[in-house]
Amino acid sequence: MAITDDLIQEATKELYSRALRKVPDDTKMALANAMRSETNETARQILKLQLRSAELAERNDRFVCSDSGVPVYFVKIGSKAELSCDFKLAIRAGYEELIETIEPPILKHVTNPLTLERGYFGKDMPIVTYDFESGVDYVEMICSPKALGSGRWAAMELFTFPTLEEIETYILDVAIKAGAQHCPPVLMGVGIGGTFDFCAGLAKKQTLRPIGEQNPDPMLAAMEERLAKAINSLGFGPMGTGGDTTVLGVHVDFASGHGFTPVAVCFNCWINRRSRVRIWGDGRMEWGE
Amino acid sequence: MSITEHKLTLPLTEDAVRELNVGDIVYLTGDIFASAGMPTYDRLLGCLDGVEPLPFDFTGEALFHLGSLNEESEDGSLKIVYMNPTTSTRFNSHMPRLIPGLGLRATGGKGGLSNESVKAMAQAGCVYLSFLGGGAEIITAGIRKVKAIGWSEMISHYRIVHIEVELLGPLTVGIDAHGNSIYDQTTANALEKRDSILYEMQVARELDIN
Repeated sequence: MAITDDLIQEATKELYSRALRKVPDDTKMALANAMRSETNETARQILKLQLRSAELAERNDRFVCSDSGVPVYFVKIGSKAELSCDFKLAIRAGYEELIETIEPPILKHVTNPLTLERGYFGKDMPIVTYDFESGVDYVEMICSPKALGSGRWAAMELFTFPTLEEIETYILDVAIKAGAQHCPPVLMGVGIGGTFDFCAGLAKKQTLRPIGEQNPDPMLAAMEERLAKAINSLGFGPMGTGGDTTVLGVHVDFASGHGFTPVAVCFNCWINRRSRVRIWGDGRMEWGE
Repeated sequence: MSITEHKLTLPLTEDAVRELNVGDIVYLTGDIFASAGMPTYDRLLGCLDGVEPLPFDFTGEALFHLGSLNEESEDGSLKIVYMNPTTSTRFNSHMPRLIPGLGLRATGGKGGLSNESVKAMAQAGCVYLSFLGGGAEIITAGIRKVKAIGWSEMISHYRIVHIEVELLGPLTVGIDAHGNSIYDQTTANALEKRDSILYEMQVARELDIN
């Protein structure tokens, strides 16, 4: 049996709705851990409030944030998955169905960058990245809605044969520039190398990695630890009112490239919106975060 | 360290505002105004220039950078389904004029405002209150009644809503009326630490690599 348009449409709709209502468990765990280690009383109170906000939204089946952002999806197609679907049309249809049916309704945040007009739809919306996975018989979809609050602080710089010191200094400076504008504690994604376009994708995909999952590359794992410690000692704290917790994690990936080395940095705010599903041809859908 | 908590009734007097210090926690009861729209704040500046009349008298009032899904039912009753803060620094160029121009006693949202606003607030006797970003359920729970929706021809989160709230909070005083800003303090602190943090990173890097 093949994966059909109906399944992709249903997944598109449901993923967005889930991402808006539930803070992922790994993120709640990281917030709770931060609450225990915080030395700043205001910061502890804000972390507690963040956990309460997450709990209330989940219990009341409501949105954690009023800004639902724009729909962003990542689709990974298994090499052994049997397909009978038009991904582009099915995702578009799923998003349209979501706009018509979601309760409560979402606000109009899709913006034409040239006219600043806002609505539910627009050119290239939803934003979808397609990829393949060898040896698996399912399609995996991830939804990561993105809004201005944390989205606008992403940055990229192109270096030539940089040292690790130059790379890490740049990342720290991006964190200083963002300050507390992105609703900390944030999850930070970093991409190093590849090309301009590929590097940005690497950084973004690192924000989809569960918090607490060890980086398999020991050199990157050590870099993640150094950066998280450094950024947390800047002292911005939850919502920027001071404290030891500015990042819940720094996730880094790299790609080989030429001598010019892009370094890309992006952020997810504390609610770390992320939902995931695996879809099989027999209609099975396995939901995750 | 204990945190000072205030349960305040709106409208705020200048004395009540001057008693607040950065880091204090505040709960508000009474009337507030809110809008998250960049075109809205542009339009308010236009009002000060005489382009059109102000939709409300904001003198002595609180105007926050909060976006909401608001609705008017067929029977004319008004409702807010959810409400949450937006990034205040987007209005850095508006607020230094709007604070004295509208006569605001309180403003707020998330992320603070630039130094020009801090100065305007000290002069006018106005505070900036920080709301929890991603706190829609907590903030919406503080709404008692929607009294009016101004500029209803705009999209929902751009409209100016006039709301009665009860124990809206907890909110943190991010900028007080004495020229203190938590945001300026934390940024200055981070910049001051930058070099020593970079040095510690270098030491750690050498240990990690060797």
